Amino acid sequence: MRVVAYLVREAFSNIRINRTTTLIAVATTAFTLACFGVFLLLYLNLRGVISSLQDDIQVVLYLDDGLPAQQVSDLQQRLKTEPGIASLAYVSKDQAVADFRAQFPSEAHLLQGLGENPLPASFVVTLGPRFRSSESIKRLADRMKDIPGVAQIQYSREWVENLATVIGYVELAAIAVGAILSAASVTIIASIIRLTLYARRDEIEIMHLIGATGAFIRIPYLLEGAVLGALGGLLSLALLRGGFEFFKLQLGAPGRLLGISSGFSFFPDHISLLMVLVGLLLGFTGSGVSLLRFGRAKA
Amino acid sequence: MIQLFHVSKYYDRRPALSDVNLQIAKGEFVLLMGPSGAGKTTLLKLLFCAESPDQGQILVQNRNVARLRRSDVPYLRRSMGMVFQDFRLLPKKNVFENVALPLVVQGASAFETKRKVTEALKAVGVEHRKDSRPTTLSAGEQQRVSIARAIVNGPIILLADEPTGNLDPELAGEIIELFKAINARGTTVMVATHNRQVADQVSRRVVTLNQGKLVSDEGVGQ
Repeated sequence: MRVVAYLVREAFSNIRINRTTTLIAVATTAFTLACFGVFLLLYLNLRGVISSLQDDIQVVLYLDDGLPAQQVSDLQQRLKTEPGIASLAYVSKDQAVADFRAQFPSEAHLLQGLGENPLPASFVVTLGPRFRSSESIKRLADRMKDIPGVAQIQYSREWVENLATVIGYVELAAIAVGAILSAASVTIIASIIRLTLYARRDEIEIMHLIGATGAFIRIPYLLEGAVLGALGGLLSLALLRGGFEFFKLQLGAPGRLLGISSGFSFFPDHISLLMVLVGLLLGFTGSGVSLLRFGRAKA
Repeated sequence: MIQLFHVSKYYDRRPALSDVNLQIAKGEFVLLMGPSGAGKTTLLKLLFCAESPDQGQILVQNRNVARLRRSDVPYLRRSMGMVFQDFRLLPKKNVFENVALPLVVQGASAFETKRKVTEALKAVGVEHRKDSRPTTLSAGEQQRVSIARAIVNGPIILLADEPTGNLDPELAGEIIELFKAINARGTTVMVATHNRQVADQVSRRVVTLNQGKLVSDEGVGQ
């Protein structure tokens, strides 16, 4: 227990004594993590927007004109057994006219000259979250189109496919940027710890001579790296939060008008915690890398 | 206690030690003499496993250090004390903390550490400087602190490499007297020096090396 207390004390003492190095390490880690954070923030918000847009994805099954009520009822039962369908709403011909008038009051006169109601009855199908991909929708549509009584199926296939592509690209970019910036963080922290190790090689040698084990010597440096990384993570969160609030402020009234700014949100708590943990892990890894190299150089 | 059998060590194919045979009994005081480059430091380095021999075997307390695993080296070193010409104290720690280090490394309790460090500082006469930083001490005081650190663990063997090299003759004499006192308590002491005055003051066994070869071994059994 006393040894653990000593090692922790040593790590914090190193941080306190080497203030300038500490400051540089924390600042560079914070900056690197903040760059990644900007991307992550953008990705998460974009995904939120995309997810809310996906909620609106509906498939409309237009029915043959004059379909008997019994057949409509049978069709409804059949659709209810489909696995991908979360909810189903029947829109009668009269309801369709009423909806049209409600949605486009200025265009209502278009229907007046036609005499007979030209709008078909339909089923509006809302899909379950797992069935909103373009492939799932296409499969569902293929199954539906041959059912007797279904005249036409309408869904925004292109829109769904575009969404899927955008999500794919953003995810890929997030992974690539994350990997590059993580490697940069590890390299920066590794270099800083290596400088510290070289500056204190005499001290390390003395520790070896008095019978300190490799672990006893290494642990304070690993802890130091982890603490620097975690502090970098915290600072990056502060920078991101500041930047985020500034951005929202700049967006101001026009954003609110368009309904954009209210849709933006900062990292949820678990992601914030994850950012700090990632910083900690990067710092720990950086220290480990430099200790390995230092050990090899000594050998 | 210490046995070397046909030990050789080369640096860039040049022999630093050549076919050295040596036996040192428990409780002996041995001076390792010879000019610079004779192989004194190399021999000490082999004993505390900072180097390994290219040929031959070395037994320390019946353990073959030439075959010791790297992970076992720290545990061997804990049974030894080491003193160097340049003191090798940690400048950022005070005298007490420096002397306490070997005990901290072994996980000794705070009470035991305080007791042993105080004893060791008393033994070398620098107890009053326990809160000072090494950089504020004189060379003689720094060497005393380094000796206190070497004996705080109650080592079986004390190895010293040119411990008086940075000291004037009077201070050197005091340091040698300290080694004699430590030896009198039963610790095997081996001091490497090129200073003839030290040999005159100690008047114990003198092992002389020259160009890596053991050229004389005088006063065995004294």
